[in-house]
Amino acid sequence: MTKYVGKNIPRLDGYDKATGRGLYTTDIYLPHMLHAAVLRSPYAHAKVISVDVSEAEKMEGVVAIATKDNTPRTYFNATASMFLTNLPDKPVLDQQIFSDVVRYIGDEVAAVAAETEAIAKEALKKIKVVYEELPAVYNVDDAMKDGAPQVQPDFSPGNNVCGGVVKIRYGDAEANWDKGEVFAETKVYMQRIKQAQLETHGAVADYNPKGHLKVYSTTQTPYPAKMILATIFDMPASNVHVKNPPYVGGGFGVRIGLSAKAEAIASALSILAKRPVKYIYSRSEDFLTSDSRHEGYIVSKISAMKDGTFVALDTRAYMNTGAYATLGVELAGVTGANGTSGAYRFPNIHYDGYVIYTNQETAGAFRGFGAPQGAFALETCVDQLAKQLGRDPLDLRLQNALRDGDEWWFPYPITSCKLMDCLKEAAKSIGWDEKRGKKQTGTIRRGVGIGCGTHVSNGAPFCLDYNAAFMRIEVDGSLLVSSAVPEIGPGSTTGLLQIAADAVGVPMENARFAFGDTDVAPFDVGSHASRTLYSAGYLLVRLAVDLREQIFEWAGKFLDVDPSTLDLVDGQIVSKCDAAEPHIEPTPLSYLAHQAHLRAKQFVVSGCKAPTNSPPFHAHAAEVEVDMETGMIKVLKLAAAHDVGVAVNPILVEGQIESGLIMGLGYALREEMTYQEGKGFYNDSYHKYMLPTMDETPEMESIIVEGFDPDGPFGVKGVGECGMIPTAPAIVGAVEDAIGIRFYEIPLTPGRVLKKIKEVYGD
Amino acid sequence: MKERLVTTVNGRRIERYVDPSMRLVDFLRDELLLTGTKIGCKQGECGACTIIMNGTAVLSCIMPVMKAMDAEILTIEGLEKDGKLHPIQDEFIKGGAIQCGFCTPGFIMGAKALLDENPSPTSEEVREELSGHICRCTGYKKIEDAVLKAAERLREEKDD
Ligand code: FES
Ligand code: FES
Repeated sequence: MTKYVGKNIPRLDGYDKATGRGLYTTDIYLPHMLHAAVLRSPYAHAKVISVDVSEAEKMEGVVAIATKDNTPRTYFNATASMFLTNLPDKPVLDQQIFSDVVRYIGDEVAAVAAETEAIAKEALKKIKVVYEELPAVYNVDDAMKDGAPQVQPDFSPGNNVCGGVVKIRYGDAEANWDKGEVFAETKVYMQRIKQAQLETHGAVADYNPKGHLKVYSTTQTPYPAKMILATIFDMPASNVHVKNPPYVGGGFGVRIGLSAKAEAIASALSILAKRPVKYIYSRSEDFLTSDSRHEGYIVSKISAMKDGTFVALDTRAYMNTGAYATLGVELAGVTGANGTSGAYRFPNIHYDGYVIYTNQETAGAFRGFGAPQGAFALETCVDQLAKQLGRDPLDLRLQNALRDGDEWWFPYPITSCKLMDCLKEAAKSIGWDEKRGKKQTGTIRRGVGIGCGTHVSNGAPFCLDYNAAFMRIEVDGSLLVSSAVPEIGPGSTTGLLQIAADAVGVPMENARFAFGDTDVAPFDVGSHASRTLYSAGYLLVRLAVDLREQIFEWAGKFLDVDPSTLDLVDGQIVSKCDAAEPHIEPTPLSYLAHQAHLRAKQFVVSGCKAPTNSPPFHAHAAEVEVDMETGMIKVLKLAAAHDVGVAVNPILVEGQIESGLIMGLGYALREEMTYQEGKGFYNDSYHKYMLPTMDETPEMESIIVEGFDPDGPFGVKGVGECGMIPTAPAIVGAVEDAIGIRFYEIPLTPGRVLKKIKEVYGD
Repeated sequence: MKERLVTTVNGRRIERYVDPSMRLVDFLRDELLLTGTKIGCKQGECGACTIIMNGTAVLSCIMPVMKAMDAEILTIEGLEKDGKLHPIQDEFIKGGAIQCGFCTPGFIMGAKALLDENPSPTSEEVREELSGHICRCTGYKKIEDAVLKAAERLREEKDD
């Protein structure tokens, strides 16, 4: 019986956040602090011949100006992939703080630190830059042509393929292809979208000339950020301290590693100025100059038997990764793995993923990490196959869905799988049987659709998953848990403390969590890959066993009883229920800990242990309404059934699912970064980027399918990204059910929908 | 040239000489260090900087500071009274309406202004009124529920 796991404990940071007390990077004001502004390239591709700062330097209030001429030229990768890539793979290190070539509109050229932000911005206007424009390339197909302009000639010589082609082979798709009797093929296009987290990227760097660098940061991975900075500035990592303040205003993958270049630029300026420097991205900088989701296209082919059994899957993905690699290569792996080939029984798989450099804003990690793209491609093809076979799409999925005990190609087993239940529950909630396949004629037509998928509970074994933590019983008997996980929003720090309190046997009120800070907490890779609760929790549960043992051993001596008869329940040392009588008087841990401290004994455990991986599964169903006259689509309901093992805190789990649902709705229907040649992306503000708002929220039902994962702590699996993955497939499927038109390109904007309606039905 | 500004913030009279070109949000955050009011865009497009001025919700990021002259301003820091959370704050915490929390102060202030004016809003009215606030984390559902629950509690408190 758990006291906290499984309960809707109000999140521990709720009070701070609801009262305005909670600090974020933008709330850090240090004595003597300067403010930064950054000069960015107006060209998509150009050589930077010279940067003349002499006029700007003379301005009153300008303290330091950083350019390629006075900052380190070290090559790095601004994301955690720089340190998490497993051998023999190597991370692509293709970024510099400022370089001789600018590769997209918005690329960094210089930065100013001044007494006020206004002065810093004014000074930018006085910096004279001489550029020599180079030919540029903007999309995957052009970039792959012979003789295309080279975006990163040093890192993809002769072509624009970033990091090489990502290949997945399982069984033998080629040899077995013709064993199938029915063949479906689809090609889908997906747009670039932006994380648009509410807190823009930012950092406050405080360099001490004695050689210590402290950085308040919006990173979702403090330790990797620390290591990247140490490399850039050639400092011992131990002299670099990265700290969330402790809160971070959202992440969604965009700050795995550095927060764009905020930390690097603020640090470079602080080193030059020898004063603290604050650099907060404007909303427009955030939109235009930090990683986005990859746009691109995917061709999927399924070979199947006439009875619907899948024989083989062939997928080719072409993704626009923009000017720099960041996490593009890893992402193409996940697109092929979890995205396209993780939810069904495919005995033969062939996947090639091409990540292509272009002269656009970089694409990198964004909730789902390539899986939403992969799922949209695959689910479109599954729907297509269902149509060819004359089968109900739900039925075909149920026939081929993975289930407990199945083998698959991943280097870790399917530890638990309730995908069938997810599909059935989602379908039931949406009213599949009554609603699907109703021919309609009016102006407003309704339909239902379904999609499913899988994801990960951490990055392993595709990239390193490393977590260290310590737990200590303080002199007052309280529990201190320390691990450098961040709190970017999901409530991981609350969930982890629920796990720790239950595992150790102390009241949660007497437990505290030191997180998000590389000086107070041991190495953890941070928040990504839906891993935090699963991975860090996995370790805490194991550490708790050791901690309890230490306590019992000492308590045994102190109380003069056999340690093996002792238990720790709710902060009291007691005899185990089944221990022989007489039972001891319950002894408060606070008393015991104090006595132990007086006798120079501390209860402390520290360790590092990474789990393998446990795949979560999920299915979403959507009901939509399409207006045949305007092309407007209204989502009436989204039903999301998730197999996340045990929900440590159901309300927080629902929060993750609902969050992903609305993001998925935006992806399917409206969000889109639009490129204008010569100008860059049009969407430089919330106003120009159509995020879903409150008035459009459909009815949502999150169904947590009861499960238990044998590897997860208390049965937990990852959930953070899952809500995003099968949403677009479900909505696009529902639109087809409503109006008989299949869309192979998202988002389904009214213009795009109306055009198709006119093509098919006439004016 | 600095100008003299007299205003009341969270019940406290403030007198300062300020740069009149400043926006109110910068005055609150940079000068008064009331950093609970957040900046999500500084263009009047996200609602994160919402405060209550003379009883109405306003976007402090596009409000010139001198508009605060002789005004009564309430920011998120002024909502908790005598160690007791306002029911909206409480319901946001209990109902899972907070994730990263960056939109939260703005949402709570927007909701307060709404409920002050309309103590019994329908679901549609809440959605309509608060649709100028962006939240990228929650999916909005739990925020809507929290506001409706808080409204109910406030009505009950009034009846008592
Ligand atoms: S910060 Fe004022 S509306 Fe966004
Ligand atoms: S809670 Fe993060 S933006 Fe609303």
